Amino acid sequence: MTSSMSDPPRRAKGHQPQFFDDPALDQLHAAVLALASELAVAFDRIDTLERLLERSHTLRRNDVECYVPDAPASEERAARRADIAARVLRPFVSYRESLFRDNAAQDGTAPIRRNDQTGTPEHKP
Amino acid sequence: MSEFHQHSMQPTLDHDERARQEFVGSFRAHLSGQVMPGAYRVYSTQIEPAFTAQHGRPPLNQDEVRKVMTSHPYYQFWSAMQRRSQEMLWESVIDPTERQLPQLIRQANKLARKPLKGGSKGTLQLDPKLVVPRYHSSVDIHLQPGGYHSDFTADDVAAGAIYDKGIYLYMGGGLGKENDVMGNTLLAYLKERHPRFVPGRILDMGCAIGNSTLVWCRAFPQAQVHGIDVGAPVLRYAHARAQSLGVAAHFSQQNAEATDFEAGSFDLVISHIMLHETSRSALVRVLRESHRLLRPGGLMLHLEIPRGNTAFEQFMHNWESYNNNETFSRFMTEIDLKAEALKGGFSAEKTTVQEFAPNLDVSQMNYAENFFWKILVATR
Repeated sequence: MTSSMSDPPRRAKGHQPQFFDDPALDQLHAAVLALASELAVAFDRIDTLERLLERSHTLRRNDVECYVPDAPASEERAARRADIAARVLRPFVSYRESLFRDNAAQDGTAPIRRNDQTGTPEHKP
Repeated sequence: MSEFHQHSMQPTLDHDERARQEFVGSFRAHLSGQVMPGAYRVYSTQIEPAFTAQHGRPPLNQDEVRKVMTSHPYYQFWSAMQRRSQEMLWESVIDPTERQLPQLIRQANKLARKPLKGGSKGTLQLDPKLVVPRYHSSVDIHLQPGGYHSDFTADDVAAGAIYDKGIYLYMGGGLGKENDVMGNTLLAYLKERHPRFVPGRILDMGCAIGNSTLVWCRAFPQAQVHGIDVGAPVLRYAHARAQSLGVAAHFSQQNAEATDFEAGSFDLVISHIMLHETSRSALVRVLRESHRLLRPGGLMLHLEIPRGNTAFEQFMHNWESYNNNETFSRFMTEIDLKAEALKGGFSAEKTTVQEFAPNLDVSQMNYAENFFWKILVATR
């Protein structure tokens, strides 16, 4: 049936929302997120290479494709992904903090604690 | 996050495919856990006070909230990221599915013929003449490209394979390793409130890949369990997946508004967050059909998602209606499910809408910090 095969579509049928006044901004945000994803992929690949080389000092390309991280490695990689997400979103989180700082200054409420409800992620130095 | 059950109907992942799926899962968890709650805060500390100062009252409903909230940069940024992450989620699942589709189709056909342990066997009945309803075909629900109903090759199972992993990533694994949390939630309700109820025949409406259907097969091994859906590729996948997991279920391509089952032929009619994917007129027809199919004393349980209590919660819950192709969903906010069930033939004394708490954390909830399932319950 390969000859009659048509690939599944890549775009969903329906309305494409525009969130910003300038549609270029919507596209820019989409591109930034795609870049962040590819960066995370590259980090995982580097991590795989390092671990494989550390283990056996040599590798075949297929070893990379077949590599499945063990539990500690999975955790470290998950932490790295969370860190990338946090870094991508950092300008935005700073913006939100400035909103709440202004607000707190106006109504006299206590400053917002970091690493709690503000969403500011904890970073190891 | 529970590890996804990599059964034989799922494509294997190469290194980078796995990394892309894991990143989109991590990113969405960050959005839900860290960014989305800020929208509630921005609203309560800035938007609502400003609106109240201007109008002498807070926004009355979700539409008034929408007018002011959608122009706020915080909302715009979160929305742009949320929308794009949903698209990336599907892309990350389509890649490996497309790469291995011929093998998956062969595997599905092989599994379909194989008798299960003990000689039992599930069945699959497709109806090429079935008209896919407009509420299903007019847009691709949840942005899954091609929707749940489109065949792109002979014996296509791609929509099912994509849906299975897609909904797992959508909830950050919160649906469980076999996406069975919704089935388990409804089952827990039945066991708690009707502990003596042992159904002999069960119908799961809008079953898609049968992820919830199999919960009922396993809970009541003596029962004959049917799953219906309008989408052929998800049903082919559902059948093969059930066979792969060693569970006998009976899948058929039918519209829940009007099935070919005999009147009074089921003890239990259920659905898992299907009602909000239909339409105003279809909703009543589905409930009327549920009534027709139940024997006297039979039970109907339709699981639904929460709609929010405040105007702002309602606005947030309906984000998907505007931005994730859930076109009917927002109308459900105003719809009284009990009243609809009465129009379908159930009696007021034997019909109720219950709230049931889930076991999720905020990083899995996407749009709300408070989440209670709704269950429309009625006895025939």
